[in-house]
Amino acid sequence: MERLNINELNIKELEQIPIPEGLEERLSAKIDEWDAASRTVAIPSTPHRGFLSPDNGGTEGGAKTIEAGRGSWRAFALAASFILVCGIGLYFALAPTNKGTIDTYDDPQLACQEAENALQLLATNLNKGMAQYEAVNAKSRQAEEILNKQLTKLN
Amino acid sequence: MRKIFSRTLICTLIMLLSSLTANAQVEEFEKYSDMKNVTYVYISKAMLTLAKGLTAPSVPGMDMKNAFGKLNAIQIITTESKAARAKLKAEVADVVKRDKYEMLMQVDEDDSKVRIYFKDGKKQSVILMSTDESNETSVIAFSGTFKIEDIQKMTEK
Repeated sequence: MERLNINELNIKELEQIPIPEGLEERLSAKIDEWDAASRTVAIPSTPHRGFLSPDNGGTEGGAKTIEAGRGSWRAFALAASFILVCGIGLYFALAPTNKGTIDTYDDPQLACQEAENALQLLATNLNKGMAQYEAVNAKSRQAEEILNKQLTKLN
Repeated sequence: MRKIFSRTLICTLIMLLSSLTANAQVEEFEKYSDMKNVTYVYISKAMLTLAKGLTAPSVPGMDMKNAFGKLNAIQIITTESKAARAKLKAEVADVVKRDKYEMLMQVDEDDSKVRIYFKDGKKQSVILMSTDESNETSVIAFSGTFKIEDIQKMTEK
């Protein structure tokens, strides 16, 4: 395909080509429409700028709805960011001061052994207590039997 | 975009809540972690879960898997210092009185006195075992979601 060099084009010859009637008006109307649409979507630099009024190509109701939605969304984002910063700050501020909640062991094996020893001690002491209770209970039953025997003899 | 923000917000709230409710142990004993001449051991639920997965712990007469699953934290405080022992004993007495612990058992022997207390909380139960020996005092607090029946099982040989 033969390529044309732009320098080789004769501007005067191009100017002689007839332009369709009303093309210029239609093109400028289209450009205005695109401009209005881009202003509605663009984020305004200040909270009250960017409102579209009917005289600059936008519909007031639609623009207000978009602006109101954007405002609430911005407030939500601001609140979320604030909570996020506070949350992270609180988390890190509380964590290092509260040494009592930091795991003593990094190795789960050692932690397991310590927990096992603690539970073993608890079980041993519970069993000791139960053994003492059983011993006392046995003595009490023995005393009761002797008493019953004596009472039967007396009767 | 909106979804990302919503997720971030939810995650932050969860993180905040978890940091506030992370105190699954007896808070009064936390101060002993910084005290001189006191040995403080803390084992969290996360570590217990890891330990449960790694090994098969065994204590005669105890269902360890069940016990580990119900534990949220273990705190072990041991001291030989006179001042710290007195403070620790007073602290235990205070906690027992204030939080209305029930005495489960008292084992008095020649060289040691053991007290086992139990608090059946709605969210968390605690078994508090204090051992007072001639030269040492130790307190072990088991926090978790166990019931009195679980303790009863510990005594079954």
